[in-house]
Amino acid sequence: MFKLKSIPQPPSVKAPALTMSSPPHIKHPDNTRTLMLDVLIALTPAYVWGVYIFGLRALVLGVISVFSCVLFEAGAVFVLRRLNGGNAREWNPAPTILDLSAVVTGTLLAMNLPVSAPLWLPVIGSAFAIIVVKQLYGGIGKNIFNPALSAVVFLTLLFPAAMTNFTAPHTPISPLKITLSSADIVAAAPPLAALKQGVFPAESMFTLLIGDHAGTIGEVSTLLLIAGGIYLLVRRVISWRIPVAFMGAVGLITIIFPKVALASDVIALSFAMRQLTCGGLALGAIFMATDYATSPVTPAGRLIYGVGCGIITVIIRYYGVYTDGVPFAILIMNIFVWYLDRYAKPKYFGWTKPSKGAVQTDDR
Amino acid sequence: MSYTIAGGVRMEEYKRTRRQQIKRMSPAPRCVCIPMLQHAGTPSTPLVSPGDIVCRGQLIGEASPEDEHGGDCRVHASVSGRVTRILERDGAVCVEIENDFEDRLSPELKPFDKRLSDTSSDEIIEIIKNAGIAGLGGAAVPTHIKLRAAIGKTDTLIINGTECEPFFTSNHRLMLESPASVINGVKILLKTLSLRRATIAVADNKPDAVSKLEGLLVGSALIKVKVCKTKYPQGAQRQLISALTGREIAPDGLPIDARCLVFNVETCAAIFRAFAKGIPLIERVVTVDGDCVREPGNVLVPLGTSALDVLDACGGLKKPPSALILGGPMTGAAQCDLSAPIVKGTRAILAFSRDFEGIGRYEQTPTCIHCGKCAEVCPARLLPNYIADLYNAGMHDEIADEFGADACIECGACSYVCPGYYPVTQYVKMAKHRPIKNQLTENELTNNSALPPTTTAAEE
Repeated sequence: MFKLKSIPQPPSVKAPALTMSSPPHIKHPDNTRTLMLDVLIALTPAYVWGVYIFGLRALVLGVISVFSCVLFEAGAVFVLRRLNGGNAREWNPAPTILDLSAVVTGTLLAMNLPVSAPLWLPVIGSAFAIIVVKQLYGGIGKNIFNPALSAVVFLTLLFPAAMTNFTAPHTPISPLKITLSSADIVAAAPPLAALKQGVFPAESMFTLLIGDHAGTIGEVSTLLLIAGGIYLLVRRVISWRIPVAFMGAVGLITIIFPKVALASDVIALSFAMRQLTCGGLALGAIFMATDYATSPVTPAGRLIYGVGCGIITVIIRYYGVYTDGVPFAILIMNIFVWYLDRYAKPKYFGWTKPSKGAVQTDDR
Repeated sequence: MSYTIAGGVRMEEYKRTRRQQIKRMSPAPRCVCIPMLQHAGTPSTPLVSPGDIVCRGQLIGEASPEDEHGGDCRVHASVSGRVTRILERDGAVCVEIENDFEDRLSPELKPFDKRLSDTSSDEIIEIIKNAGIAGLGGAAVPTHIKLRAAIGKTDTLIINGTECEPFFTSNHRLMLESPASVINGVKILLKTLSLRRATIAVADNKPDAVSKLEGLLVGSALIKVKVCKTKYPQGAQRQLISALTGREIAPDGLPIDARCLVFNVETCAAIFRAFAKGIPLIERVVTVDGDCVREPGNVLVPLGTSALDVLDACGGLKKPPSALILGGPMTGAAQCDLSAPIVKGTRAILAFSRDFEGIGRYEQTPTCIHCGKCAEVCPARLLPNYIADLYNAGMHDEIADEFGADACIECGACSYVCPGYYPVTQYVKMAKHRPIKNQLTENELTNNSALPPTTTAAEE
């Protein structure tokens, strides 16, 4: 009945197999992998800078962290599938590994470690991040807390000495020695420690901006982190709202309530500038607070979330036990994501205020 | 200044047929299969029986007298020839006509010879009804029903020439090749509704069409051309009304609630043709494209022609298709066989092979990564990711009252941008068409007509 002359067919096939699917039939080229790849590209300059000033050990820590994250991801998917009654023979770790989210987690974890950390530290961190925080909640997109940051806080609580053992930049450090003793490193305090005491750090503003000072591997270069953030904005991977609200809140609060003896207004401004460039603020605001699964999706929710992160960060920096408050602030705000989205969502198209006294009916 | 909707997404346009002149389908189809239900409403009843000889433009389907819903739209023969059989296809009655290639026009068709200023609204609506005109933008609502309901209740007439979906170029070509018939159609509509102002909305990716229309409208206070930003779904009726007038329609409302009425440019041209030549709606312009098509272009196709005949008239297919879509790539329906007929709402035939780069590849594990891109592009300002989650959790009341799933226009932008290949659109559609508690039984739910009327993004 139907002419099929125009369709070249192998003799065995009677009619062409047509895909039945509901619309839309086309798809934007971006997928999870390209987005995660963009995040990795944006992180690269800051990481390369970390390797340049802290030496090859920074790279070794990163490789260990990324590899253990990927292995734990594959292993967790396998075990959880077995536990949930799935067929282990169908186990295919490729999709969850190829989406590169575990690689991003591993990279971010390594960037939050001091270069003197023992080489087994990222393995423990990765196990906590991937197995406990990410996969037990259902994998990518389902976790409530940022995996990398949870691991950082977990390690800070378990190994406080190893996590705060900062070294001076440009000092020789063994790349492959598993545990470093105090004789192996040249200890140095990060500039944020001075700010916590209410005094200005010795480093100049320019040094702080380019990141030639003690700190964790990835957090030091604010300039390169912001460059990475601009790349993500241009590629539309993240929205400007969370980083701007976060850093804006920190800047504003520290200008209004500086924790130094005030000589003039200029000091308040320079104190705020140092608060913005020290510690993990840029890394946290641009790369960690914007983590998809653990940040709000509504415009207003994102702004409130960013401001909340900023406020908690400053409170911890001023009054907390720990030097930096960024990881704690983001994890605390992670709790509120659903409520921020639910109550700060825009009114849907055609929304009208329910008239007062109207009887609520069940029909539409 | 250009007008724009909230949200929306800029996408690859694939409008490579925009320079192809509209050409009549040749060779003409050997036989056509004309469904009695080509519009949104109740099916018409065939007036012919097998063996009858019909002329082009002859009435072959009309509302049955006992049909009290009034959702009828007349059907006319699109070719001259012999009725071979009355068959049922996909649940609709169809009349199959074998083309005799004589192209005899029905002698009853006469141009309307009164001056427009002396004509009453009722007369115009009667002509439109007799010509069987339904919205050619995709939704295919019978135009006479829309007009009759709107008289005296509107203050803005919007003509939709935005053509926001990828691949579509038929409206663009129509505005370039016969802008006068579009404008005359608008004038007829203005007269029917006794309005003094109409807006033709054109997206800014068609500057040549804008200048062509503006050139013809110099000094006209009646009709204005407004330029909209190029993005999808700029042409969705509700969103377009809000972009142009700032009025928003409630999810259960109609454009009349915002005192607006929207017609597609091709509908206007069809109305003018019914007046000037007396020819009813028996053919429409279809964009034929997709990577399998040898000679993509815009073709004037008699209604009822099978998709395969149209593809053959466009040089055939150069590789086996893996998907055949009637309508646009964002809202169109995938077909299971190539013989599906072209109806009044069919704007395009797209044949894609497996290696077309834009086609959705759902082999990957679909996952929501909670990125919020769906919420950024949603033209109805919904949070599609949460609606999908709540639907899966069975929280139907929250979906309706708080998250407004009923405002979804099913444009597909959320699935289009989703990096996790999550079928967001499908979940929101299910949430929108969810069963209503305590109102419908299981049995009634299987019958679509028991569900309340809903809105879709199909351009009108």
